[in-house]
Amino acid sequence: MKDVMGIIYTGENDARLRELTIIRAIAALPVAGRFRVIDFLVSSMVNGGMKNIGVIMQKNYHSLMDHLGSGKEWDLHGKTNGLHILPPFLTRENVGLYPGVLDGLRSNTDYLNRSKQELVVLSNSNIIYNAHFKDMIAFYENTGADITLMYTKDPSMKRDEFGTYISLDQDGNVKDIEVEPTHPNYDNTFMQVCLMKREFLKELVDKAVAHGLHDLARDLLLKLVQEKQAKVNAFEYTGVCWNIDSVQSYFKFNMDILKPEIRKKLFIDELPVFTKVRDEMPAFYSAESHSVNSLVADGCQIEGKIENSVLFRGVRVAPNAHVKNCIIMQDGQVQEGAYIENCILDKQTVIKKNTKLIGPEAYPIVIAKNVVI
Amino acid sequence: MLRKKTCIAMLLAGGQGSRLGILTKNVAKPAVPYGGKYRIIDFPLSNCTNSGIDTVGVLTQYQPLELNAYIGSGAPWDLDISNGGVFVLPPYQKGKSGEWYRGTANAIYQNMAFIEQYHPDYVLILSGDHIYKMDYNAMLDYHISHGADATIAVREVPWEEASRFGIMNTDPDGTIVEFEEKPQNPKSNKASMGVYIFTWEKLRHYLTEDEADKNSSNDFGKNIIPNMLRDKQVLVAYDFNGYWKDVGTIESLWEANMDLIDNPMPMNMHDKNWRIYSKNPGMPPHYISEGAVVTDTLITEGCEVYGKVNHSVLFAGVVVEEGADIEYSVIMPGSIIKRGAIVRRSIVAENATVGAGSIIGEDSGNIAVIGQGVTLPAGVSVPSGTQVDESYTF
Repeated sequence: MKDVMGIIYTGENDARLRELTIIRAIAALPVAGRFRVIDFLVSSMVNGGMKNIGVIMQKNYHSLMDHLGSGKEWDLHGKTNGLHILPPFLTRENVGLYPGVLDGLRSNTDYLNRSKQELVVLSNSNIIYNAHFKDMIAFYENTGADITLMYTKDPSMKRDEFGTYISLDQDGNVKDIEVEPTHPNYDNTFMQVCLMKREFLKELVDKAVAHGLHDLARDLLLKLVQEKQAKVNAFEYTGVCWNIDSVQSYFKFNMDILKPEIRKKLFIDELPVFTKVRDEMPAFYSAESHSVNSLVADGCQIEGKIENSVLFRGVRVAPNAHVKNCIIMQDGQVQEGAYIENCILDKQTVIKKNTKLIGPEAYPIVIAKNVVI
Repeated sequence: MLRKKTCIAMLLAGGQGSRLGILTKNVAKPAVPYGGKYRIIDFPLSNCTNSGIDTVGVLTQYQPLELNAYIGSGAPWDLDISNGGVFVLPPYQKGKSGEWYRGTANAIYQNMAFIEQYHPDYVLILSGDHIYKMDYNAMLDYHISHGADATIAVREVPWEEASRFGIMNTDPDGTIVEFEEKPQNPKSNKASMGVYIFTWEKLRHYLTEDEADKNSSNDFGKNIIPNMLRDKQVLVAYDFNGYWKDVGTIESLWEANMDLIDNPMPMNMHDKNWRIYSKNPGMPPHYISEGAVVTDTLITEGCEVYGKVNHSVLFAGVVVEEGADIEYSVIMPGSIIKRGAIVRRSIVAENATVGAGSIIGEDSGNIAVIGQGVTLPAGVSVPSGTQVDESYTF
C-alpha cells in the first residue's frame, strides 16, 4: 500500500457566508449538529490510512487551530507523523493572507521536504464528503498519471461564477479547465482535490511561484494540460458531496442530512467521522415538548416545539418556544414564546421571550455569535 | 523512580454484582451502562479527576475484559499522564504463588507494592458501585485537619432502613466511637458509603496484621475498621449529603436512570465545574423523525427514533422503529426496538434486538431485563421481572 500524506488548504473566499465566517475559516464552520466542515476531510484522510496531514492556515485561523488541537481525536497525535498545523508566516511578503494555494505551499516547503511519504493528496477545505481515497489512489497508479484530479457529476455542485469545471477526453485525461466561468460549460465539477507525487508537487510549486503563479487550477493545472507538460487525468467521485460556499448552501447541507437516506450515505459505519468531544449529558425532552424531523446533539434541553431543525450541543428551547427550519449552534437559547423560522443562529445567541424572527426560505437569516435579540 | 504523591486512589472494581443478574453475566458491575452515555465507573473516576487525584489503581477481578477495554489508558478522564494516571490491577502471581482477591482489604494488601511506588501520605479507597458526585479533596482536607488515621464518608439514611447498612455511631464532633454492621437496633442513622481515606502508614500496618489473621474475612468494614476502633485509633466520620445511589440491584439501577428524568434532577449533571467524563462513542447527533413522539426522555448521540418514547433513557446508537412504543425503560447502547414492539418498565442491555410486535415488561411489577446481545424473535411476550438471556426459551 502506497504511503500517502494529506495537505489541506484553508481560508478560501467566503464572503457569501456572511457573518458565519467573519470569525472563523470555512473549515472551522460548525455543521451537522456537532461537527466542523474540516472533520469530514480529515476523517476521510485518516480512514484512508494517511498519518501525516498538514493544514495550511491563514486569516482567521484561531478557531480552526483550537478545534484541531494536537489531532488527538483523529488519532493524529503520535510520535510518528501526525497532524501539522501550518500557520501563515508573517514576513514582509506574507501578511497572513496567501494570494493562492501555490503561495501557501511555497511557504511550507520545509514541511514538504521533511515529510517522507511518496504521494500527497492536496485538497481545499470547503467541500463536505466522505471518501477514503483508496480508489482514487489505485486509479492514479493504474493509469500512470502525473496528477489525478477528483471530480463529481453532481449537478448541485455547479454554480455560475464560482467553482472549477473540467472536460475529459475518452481516456479520462483532462482536456480543459474552466475557473469561475460565468456559466459552466462542463458538467464535471472539480472537487479541489488532486493527487500526485510529493517530489513532483515540490518541483511544480517552486517553478510556479518563481513565475508569479498563485492559483492551482487556473495558473498551474490549466497550463500543464494545455501545454501537455504532464499527464493529468481525473477520477470520478460518485458519493454525496456539498460545497459550503454560501449561506444557502450551508443551510441546504444541514437540511439535506435530516433525510435518513442521505445521512446514511455521509455517515458510514466503516468510515466514521471524528470530531472533538464535549462530555455533555444526553439531550432531554420534557413531557410538554414536541419534536419532529430534527437532528439534536447532546446537552440540549427541549421543552418547546422543534421541527426540521439541527440543534448543536447545549441548545435550550424553552416551553412554548417554536423552532422551525433552523440551525442553532452551541449553547443557543430560544426563550419562552419565541418563534423562529429559517434562521441560522451562531453560538451562544439568545432569542428573547416572545420574539418572532422569520427568514425567507431562500435567504435564511444569520444571527452572529453571542447576539441577543 | 516515580515521584511522590500526597494521595492516591484505589478503586475496588472486582466484584460480580450478582444482584444485577444477567446484566453482569459477561461484564463487571462498574462497566454497566448508566444514564444514557456513562458507565458506573465514570463517576468515581471523574470525581478523582475533578478532585485533583491523578493516580488511580482500579482493582479488577470478575469479567474484566469490557471494563479494561473501556478504561484503556485513561484518556477520557485525563488520566493518561506521564507520572501517575489510571492503572488496571488484576490479581497476579508473586514468586511461586498467586491468588484471587479474598476480600476488599486483601485486594489492597496484595497491591501494596503498587501503592508504595508513590510513597503516598494518604490512600483513598473507593468502590465502583455507586452513582454520586463528591469532592475527595475536601474529604482529604477534613481528614488532615482532624488529625485522623481514617476518615469514613457517611450519609444519613432513613431510620427505617438503617438496619440494612454499616452504621457509624459518632461523637458530636464527628469522632467514630462504634461501628455496627446491619444493627437490629441502630443507634445512629449515619451509614458508611464505602469511601475511606486512610493515613497510609496506619493502613499498611492494619492490612499486614489482618493478612496474618487466618480467621479474618479480609474486609474493610468487617475487619480493618473494627480493628482500628479496638486500638483506639482516630477515626472520624465525614458527612456527605449529596445524591448517592447504590446501583447494585436491577431495581435500583433502573430507578437511578429514571431519577435523571425527574424535574428537578436530584443530581445536577449540567454542572460545568464538575463534569462527568466518559468514553464518547463519537456518533452523529440523534435523529427524531417526522412521525416520532418523544416526551420526558433522555436521548444521546447516534440514536434514530421513528416511534414513540416516553419517560425513558436511550443510550448511543439505539434505533426505535416506527410503531415501537417505549415507556419507563432503559435501552442500552446499540439496541434495536423493532416495529410495533411495546416496552414497559424494562432494561434492554447492549446490542440486543427486540423483535417486531413483542411485548416486553408490564406497566407495573418488577423490571424485565433483556440481556446483552440477545435477539428476540418477533411477537414474543416477556412478563415483568423476567430476565431473558440467550438460553431463555419462549
